[in-house]
Amino acid sequence: MISIVGFTNLLLSFLIGLIIFFSYFFNNKNTISRTYYNLVFFKFFFIIVSFLTLIYAYIVSDFSNQNVFENSHSDKPILYKISGAWGNHEGSMLLWLLIMSSYTLFFTLNKNLTDNIKKLTITFQTSLFLLFAVFVILTSNPFLINSINFEEGMGLNPILQDPALAVHPPILYVGYVGFSLILSLALAGLTFKQIDYEWMNTAKKLTLFCWSMLTAGIALGSYWAYYELGWGGWWFWDPVENVSLMPWIAGLALVHSLMITKKEKILIRWIVFLSILCFSLSIFGTFLVRSGILTSVHSFATDSARGIFILIIFLVSTGFSFILFIFKTDDSEEKLKLLFINKSTALIFNNIVMIIACLTILLGTIYPIVIEVITNKRISVGAPYFNSTALPILLPGFLLMSIAPALSWQNNKLPKYKSYIFVFIALSLLSFIIVYLNAFNVWGFIGIALGLIIIFSSLLSVYFNCIKFGLRNFINHNNALLAHIGVGILVLGITTSSVYKSEFSVTFMINEKKQINHYSYTLLKLETNQNSNFQELVAVFSLYKDNKKIAEIKPSKRYYNVSKMITTEAGIYHSWFQDFYIIIGNEKDQIWSVKIYQNPLVSLIWIGVIIMVLSGLLGIRRA
Amino acid sequence: MKRIILIIPFVLTLIVSGFLLFYLLQDKDPKKPPSALLNEDIPKIEIPDLFNEKNFLTNVDFKDKLILVNFFASWCAPCKVEHPLFFKIKEDHPSLFIIGVDYKDLKNDALDYLKKDGNPYNFVGYDKQGLIGLEFGVFGLPETFLINKKGKIIYKHLGPLDKKIIENDIYPLLN
Repeated sequence: MISIVGFTNLLLSFLIGLIIFFSYFFNNKNTISRTYYNLVFFKFFFIIVSFLTLIYAYIVSDFSNQNVFENSHSDKPILYKISGAWGNHEGSMLLWLLIMSSYTLFFTLNKNLTDNIKKLTITFQTSLFLLFAVFVILTSNPFLINSINFEEGMGLNPILQDPALAVHPPILYVGYVGFSLILSLALAGLTFKQIDYEWMNTAKKLTLFCWSMLTAGIALGSYWAYYELGWGGWWFWDPVENVSLMPWIAGLALVHSLMITKKEKILIRWIVFLSILCFSLSIFGTFLVRSGILTSVHSFATDSARGIFILIIFLVSTGFSFILFIFKTDDSEEKLKLLFINKSTALIFNNIVMIIACLTILLGTIYPIVIEVITNKRISVGAPYFNSTALPILLPGFLLMSIAPALSWQNNKLPKYKSYIFVFIALSLLSFIIVYLNAFNVWGFIGIALGLIIIFSSLLSVYFNCIKFGLRNFINHNNALLAHIGVGILVLGITTSSVYKSEFSVTFMINEKKQINHYSYTLLKLETNQNSNFQELVAVFSLYKDNKKIAEIKPSKRYYNVSKMITTEAGIYHSWFQDFYIIIGNEKDQIWSVKIYQNPLVSLIWIGVIIMVLSGLLGIRRA
Repeated sequence: MKRIILIIPFVLTLIVSGFLLFYLLQDKDPKKPPSALLNEDIPKIEIPDLFNEKNFLTNVDFKDKLILVNFFASWCAPCKVEHPLFFKIKEDHPSLFIIGVDYKDLKNDALDYLKKDGNPYNFVGYDKQGLIGLEFGVFGLPETFLINKKGKIIYKHLGPLDKKIIENDIYPLLN
C-alpha cells in the first residue's frame, strides 16, 4: 500500500515534469506566470512525498516493498533504517530526483535573471529530471512489491551502518546534482547569448555551493574509509573516489574561472565548457559506478540495462550540450589581456593545470576498461599511477596558489614581492631542516614546504589586506585567502600522514605491555557487548608516553547477526600531532595479532577541508 | 579554426560513449553464488506434528527417502498459489515423501487452511517460533527444499513453485 502511494507520487511528479517541459514550446510568452511556478512547486511536492513514503516504508519495516526487504532489517537502529532509504541504488536515484527538483524550486526564487533565461533554464533542468525519472521508473523503481511474503529483511550492509555514511550520500548528491542546474543555466545563457553579469553572479553562487557540498561529501566518505575500512589510510584512489574527484576538480576550475570574468568578460566560452563538463563528469561517474563496470566499495547490485540507460542519459545530455556549444558560441575574437604575471594569467594557468589533472585521473580510471576490451584481461590502475602523475601535475598549481590572490588584475606587479620571496625562501629552508632531521624524503620536503608556503604567504596577504582595508568586511576581502589556507593545511596533513606514517604488526597477550615508536601500549582486556543488531568484541588498549597513561583506545570487531558479516572498527585516539590507530586481528592461543598505525597530523586533513568548505559557503554571500 | 576546437568535446563524448556501449554489450554475466546449504547434510531437527504436537519427526525418519520440505503458512498468499501443485507432485511421484512445515503460524489458522485447501503433505510439522526455519536458513515464505536419500539438500527454491520449475528443475532430480 505504502509503495503504491510512493510510486503514484513519483508518476505524478513525472507527469508535471512533462507539462512543464512541453509548456515551453506551446507558450511563447517570455514572462513566467504564477501557474508555471506552481507547477514547479508541485513537481517538487510530489517527489518529496514519494521520497518520504520510501523513508516511511523503511521506518516501519514494510518488507512487502522489495527495496526495503533487500536493504533493511527490523532490528536496525532507526537512524540506519532511515539512511537505508538512500543506501542503495534505487533509493539513491530517487534522492537524486528529489535534489534535482529542489534545485529547480530554489531557482524559481532567483530575482536577478531575466524571465526568458529563467524559463529556459527550468526547461533544461526539467528535461534532465525527466530523463532520470524515466530511468528510475523503468529500471530502478524503489517501490516494487515482493511476490513473496517476507517476515524479515536482508539487512543493510554492516559497513554502511555508520553515522558519517548516513549523511555522506545526501551531501555528496547536493554537490553532484547541483551541477545539473549550472549546466541548464549555461545552456540557457548560451541559447540567448546572454551571459552577463547577473548570469555570472548566479552561476558563481551556485558553483560555490555545489562545490562546497561536494567537498564535504567526499571528505565524509574519506573520513569514513579512514576509521571503518581499517587500512590506516583515508584515500585509496578507488574508482569511486576518482570519479568523484573529476567533477570536483572541474568545479574548482569553474569557481576560479568565474572569478576572472568578474573583471574580464572574455572567457565565456571556457566557462560554458566547464559548466557542461561538471555535470557530464557527474553523470559519467554515476554511469561507471552503477553499471558495474568499475567495482569498488560502492558495489551496488548492477545490471547492464541500467548501465546502458545511464549511458544514454549521458550521451543525450552531454551530446546535446556540446552540440549547442558548437553552434551557439559567440565567435567574437577578443584577445585576453595576458601579462607575464597578473591575476588572469595565474587563473588561466591554474585552470590548465586542473584540467590536465582531471584528464589524467580520467585516463587512469578508464584505462583498465580499454585494456579489458582489447586484451580481455583485467588490470587495475592503482595509487602508484595517480601518485606519480596527478600529484606532480598539481604541484605548480599549488605553488602559484600561494601568491595568486595577491596579484593584480591590471598590471605585472606583485605588491611587496620581497616579503613573499622571503617567506618562500625561509619556509623552504625551514622545511628542509625539519625533513632532514626526521628521515629525509623528497616528497616529504616538497609537501611540507608547499603547505607552509601556501599557509604563510596567504596569511601575509591577509595581513596586508587588513592594513589596507582594516577589519571591516574581513571575510569579503580575505575569503579566497582563507580557502587557500585551508588547502595549505590540507597539503600539510596529506604529506605528513602519508609520508611519515608508521605501521607496526605486533602480537599482544592480555596485560602485555609493548614499547612501539616512543609510546607503549598495553592490552588491558577484551569485552563483549550485545547490541540490537550486532555483537561486539572490544579490545581495550592503554596508551602510555613515558609511563604516563594518555589514552584508552578501543578497536573492535563486530558481528552483524543479520548479514552474518564481521566488520573491523578501528580504535583511534586523535591527538593534536598524531593519530594512534589500532586494529585487532585474529586470536590464536590467547595471543592477539594487532596492527598499529601512528599517523602524524592526520587531523590537519579534516581541519583543512572544513576551512575550505566554510570559506566556500561564505563566498556565496559575497558573490 | 575556432569551430574545430569547439567540436572536440562533442567528438570525444561520442567516442567515449560508443566505446563504453561496446563494452556493456559484451555482457559479462556475473555467476550467481550457490546457496550455502546446498549439498550440505540437513540440520539436526525435531519437528512436532501439527495435528498432534506430542509426535515428532526426527532425522532418523529422513533416512533412505527422497523428501520434499515445503515451508508454508496460512498467512502467506503465495503459498496458497503453489499449494495445489503439491497434489500434482504427489500424483506423479507417489514415493516422494512430502513434508509441509507450518511456519510462524497460529495452529487453528493452519488447521483451517489445510481443511479448506486440502492436505497434500505426508507429514505436517508445526514450527511455531520459526526455529526449524532457522535451521534450514528459511528466508521468506514459501520456500522448498529437496533432500536426497543420503540426507543431503540437493535443491532449494525460494518463492512459489510453478509448473515450469517443477518439471524442469525438480522432476529431473527425482528420477
